[in-house]
Amino acid sequence: MSMKRAVVFAGVGVLLAAAPLLAHHAFSAEFDVNKPMKLQGTLVKWEMINPHSWFHIDVKGPDGQMIRWLVEGGSPNQLIRLGVTKSTLSSGMELLIEGYLARDGTNKGVGRNFTLADGRRLFLGGSAPGGGAESGPVAK
Amino acid sequence: MRNRFRPSVIVSVAIVTVLVLTGTVTTGQSPTYKAPRTTDGKPNLNGVWQALNEAYWDIETHPAAPGSVTALGAAGAIPPGPGLVEGGLLPYQPAAAEQKKKNFENRLTLDPEIKCYLPGVPRANYMPYPFQIIQTPKYIMMVYTFARAVRTIYMDDHKEAPADSWMGWSNGRWEGETLVVDTTGFNGQAWFDRAGNFHSDALHVVERFTATSPDHLLYEATIEDKNVFTRPWKISMPIYRRLERNAQIMDFRCVEFAEDLIYGHLRKPSGK
Amino acid sequence: MNHRFLVVGSGLIVLVALMWSATIPVAGQARAYRAPRTPDGQPDLQGFWTNTTYTPLQRPKEITKEFYTREEALEILKTSAVLESEQTEPGTIPDVHYDFTQFGLDRNQGGLALNLRTSLIFDPPNGQLPPMTAEGQKRTAARAEARKRMGRPTDAVQNQSLSVRCILMDRAGPPMLPGAYNNNYQIVQAPGYVMILVEMIHEPRIIPIDGRAHLPQHVRSLTGNPTGRWEGETLVVETTNFTDKTGFQGSSENMRLTERFTRVAEDRILYQFTIDDPATWTRPWSAELPMQKTIGPIFEHACHEGNRGLYNTLAGARAEDKKAAEDAARKSSSQ
Repeated sequence: MSMKRAVVFAGVGVLLAAAPLLAHHAFSAEFDVNKPMKLQGTLVKWEMINPHSWFHIDVKGPDGQMIRWLVEGGSPNQLIRLGVTKSTLSSGMELLIEGYLARDGTNKGVGRNFTLADGRRLFLGGSAPGGGAESGPVAK
Repeated sequence: MRNRFRPSVIVSVAIVTVLVLTGTVTTGQSPTYKAPRTTDGKPNLNGVWQALNEAYWDIETHPAAPGSVTALGAAGAIPPGPGLVEGGLLPYQPAAAEQKKKNFENRLTLDPEIKCYLPGVPRANYMPYPFQIIQTPKYIMMVYTFARAVRTIYMDDHKEAPADSWMGWSNGRWEGETLVVDTTGFNGQAWFDRAGNFHSDALHVVERFTATSPDHLLYEATIEDKNVFTRPWKISMPIYRRLERNAQIMDFRCVEFAEDLIYGHLRKPSGK
Repeated sequence: MNHRFLVVGSGLIVLVALMWSATIPVAGQARAYRAPRTPDGQPDLQGFWTNTTYTPLQRPKEITKEFYTREEALEILKTSAVLESEQTEPGTIPDVHYDFTQFGLDRNQGGLALNLRTSLIFDPPNGQLPPMTAEGQKRTAARAEARKRMGRPTDAVQNQSLSVRCILMDRAGPPMLPGAYNNNYQIVQAPGYVMILVEMIHEPRIIPIDGRAHLPQHVRSLTGNPTGRWEGETLVVETTNFTDKTGFQGSSENMRLTERFTRVAEDRILYQFTIDDPATWTRPWSAELPMQKTIGPIFEHACHEGNRGLYNTLAGARAEDKKAAEDAARKSSSQ
């Protein structure tokens, strides 16, 4: 690496420190880092609302009865620009969600990773540059 | 405030009000007035506008009634109004009529206006505050005072709503003198008024804005919701241009006025 | 991880190529481009624009020059995008989040314009905010003190930021600066008005271009009171009547903001602003960044209505308070 590039890269760290990927609010105040969660269930509906979207998931409890969970995801607005609509996800689809539980102790969490039943990651395919076969469902 | 209105406006407001009360303004009337044109040859609806009626309390024909906040006394009473609805009353399905009654009884906790939520359509058009139309060939923007609500009316490139929203997804077109706006994609959480009149996410509103003088619009809307009503129904009202020289949409950022109501019970008790 | 890098990296090249159609103008430099006109003869600024950037407001101390070379700027873009999309370590505070890339919300997927500037501030030429006046320093200290007195952010809704409360995204200003995502704006022009719809919290900026005066000084609001005029190719917007609730970079309510919008290419607006606030800084200062043409729509950002995050945060704090109180009671009763 040339001296010049080294200087540039030294700058990048600073740039990101100066302009971090700031969320709308402090997620760690809403969700507990000490309570990781892993949910497997079926999608009841995806609320494409702001500032963050919410996935309603039915998860089978230990006694076989269904328990409704609410899982936070991202603002839908950029996905809408990329062609995602309310009909992109259908209710009844299987989702595996890893994330963290809400601090208020109710059946809520933030979805750190959304994965489809066949192992593909949710959404990224159609929207990420160069993405593709390994992700779905795709936009457009 | 009143002396800012020109006498002629007061007179014309009075005349139109009389016309409405006597039912002379009918929907579907073919307009004889031809509005000034924009540069692309369309009726020019630009301006700051406001409805002047009691429908923000109740769009149905209604008598005066007591308010629900004792401290407000007569100032908080429900003023009587002839309503906007053709035929006076809404054609609710039986279960929906029950729901409406519950909404009215619990309006202090349920009315989205109280929480500064976006007013939805058509409610935004007859709230007692001005809204501004900013008209371009491709997009017509309607900016409302309350909650700084915005509607984008897509004049070409008509699409279905990508997702549900409070103000809906509006596709517009010109029919001669009339701006026709077709709106769907509602989330079903807005109300029609403070009386608990409501709809579901199946709401479909077709609005018609027609200039009837330099300072008046005739507003008509056909409202359909198969989950709530037995048939489509119509509303109509005049909308008036705000003629004050300094007419404008001022900042009514109402969220902070509703926060104690919404989140007050989650405040940490003092002294701990 | 390596694979991710390749994916993001290769995508970036395409993205940047698409967006590199205009030379970056330098303030004061003569511009050849003449914007198309609206039917009433105004320069046409209409369309959807984004001001997403990786460039910081102030120049990082390590950087001593005003501009990167194009090669360096591309390198920064690529590296920043990769850093941004990298997964955080499970079980750490930064990991308590959804994945931005999964929702198309990272800056790379949102689209951004290449900016050769090493800082958004170009005046003072060192890229730094000017020194604060004694009055400004005193006010900044008093605000910090007042915040401390309010207690923890989770103690009451009013202790949270305006952004978290969905009242106004602090970055939306004005001046309009980008944040992490949804940095989109729609501009429409009708005779006598320019309107800018800011995507975040559906903020409509209605700018009258009819020579009217500002509202009386006592009528203040978070976004101030704007009036506009055309100076040749440039829309100039003067905003006053701010409150002391926003405090942009420590500004006072008497800040005077001048924004300049100049279409410098078919797909780009140069956005410049000057802050004049003698009660806060020893001299006015100016910054600029590009607004790049992007796609719509601007979908309704009903932030307050859907603000479950705020509710959950406050409810979570109260639930934890309760548990702590119960634990303390149990401890004292068992002693």
